[in-house]
Amino acid sequence: MSLAIHTDVKEPAETPAETAAVENKVSVKRLNFYYGAYRALSDINVNLLKNKVTAFIGPSGCGKSTLLRILNRIYDLYPNQRAEGEVLLDGENILSPKQDLNLLRSRIGMVFQKPTPFPMSIYDNVAFGIGLYEKLSRAEMGERVESALRRAALWDEVKDKLQASGLSLSGGQQQRLCIARALAVRPDILLMDEPASALDPIATQRIEELVYDLKKDYTIVIVTHNMQQAARVSDYTAFFWLGKLVEFDRTEKLFTAPAEQLTEDYVTGRFG
Amino acid sequence: MDRVVPHFQEELEALQSRLLEMGGLAEERVRACIDALESRDLGVVAQVMGGDEPINQLHIEIDNRCFRLLALYQPMATDLRAIVSAVKINTDLERVGDLAVNIAEAAQRYTTHPPVKKLIDIPTMGTIAQTMLRDALDAYVRRDTALAHAVLNADDQLDALKTQVFRDLLTYMIKDPVTVEPALDLILISRHLERIGDHATNIAEDVIFMVSAQDVRHHPPATHERA
Repeated sequence: MSLAIHTDVKEPAETPAETAAVENKVSVKRLNFYYGAYRALSDINVNLLKNKVTAFIGPSGCGKSTLLRILNRIYDLYPNQRAEGEVLLDGENILSPKQDLNLLRSRIGMVFQKPTPFPMSIYDNVAFGIGLYEKLSRAEMGERVESALRRAALWDEVKDKLQASGLSLSGGQQQRLCIARALAVRPDILLMDEPASALDPIATQRIEELVYDLKKDYTIVIVTHNMQQAARVSDYTAFFWLGKLVEFDRTEKLFTAPAEQLTEDYVTGRFG
Repeated sequence: MDRVVPHFQEELEALQSRLLEMGGLAEERVRACIDALESRDLGVVAQVMGGDEPINQLHIEIDNRCFRLLALYQPMATDLRAIVSAVKINTDLERVGDLAVNIAEAAQRYTTHPPVKKLIDIPTMGTIAQTMLRDALDAYVRRDTALAHAVLNADDQLDALKTQVFRDLLTYMIKDPVTVEPALDLILISRHLERIGDHATNIAEDVIFMVSAQDVRHHPPATHERA
């Protein structure tokens, strides 16, 4: 396995060249979120840039996972949870009641902390989501499953046992199977909620390499408690604290010379 | 809130005090070799020439401490900058120690000849170089960027004096070829002192980077004037 360290030197964000090159995929504007009467997020304004990896960091309960859950409206599944403000995906407000939730969730895939394969074959795990949105012939479905497994860097390990149970795979393979399942419906955005926190260092490295490869085609958001991981995989980092966005900047800047004292204290481990 | 990582903080403070110890040794050696040159005291010269070991030991120890801190704690932001700066300051101080030895060697040779002239500019250069070094280390301890900028500005004086020493001694050498050998040693010494000023400048630049995350290296002098 390669131990590639990605050191693409970036120009400072304020240069016109970079500003022109990056395109907003998602714009969060004046967002508030409530669990019943409790306000979990206050006045969040942040842009997620197309084909970039954005990391959300902050102590437990700071609102980073809540924001992730808003982006594909999982919170709709629970009563008494509501969002105010706007979340524009390619300019369309996904918080609008008119938003088709099935369509939204096909455009925004999600991967959770613990691998969650379905109790079915590897093949069916990947084909399951596709079947909800599209009618494909057997041959087309086979191609789509293979392509998703290849993209998730799992194909070579499972191509000879596609009918084996998804649960028979190792933890790291199960997580890549979940990523393949998310990619199979061809989303634009991939949300990852601590995708490697339950994995060993080698499986973690594979997931991180995968994130790096996938950003060519997807806009990725990753929530992580591992700051070294955030520093390694992301292009931009947002630091949340007590439901507020404290600082958003290029990752390199945020981890070497943050602008806010709170960010400084958090990334240097002076509170947390 | 405000929960400081105790081990890391302690180790960072230990690193800083070792670096200051090394700075003190380097500064002391620069002072000693200039004194020896002026007093023509071969005993002191021999002491400076043979006494580089403590600095060399600290050089290795400080590097090891930095490696340890980077590997074990993977520091970020100001802590990361502090350790990277310590690695660089460490190298600069070690070079200052070496230059003190070079000065002592030249002083030893110089003492075997009659004096070319009364030494004025070289002791002044020695004082400026020591002050720059001390100020750079004070700026490091106090995280004082204004003082660090003052060190950067002081370097011009040292450069000017070096040029003056050269011109001055050139006239002696032209007048009397017997002075060529000792005069060349004095020119070498002024060159070494000017290099010590450059190392102090490097340290001051590292301090500014450590404190403010601003990289002021390789900029035109105008940038240095915001003290």
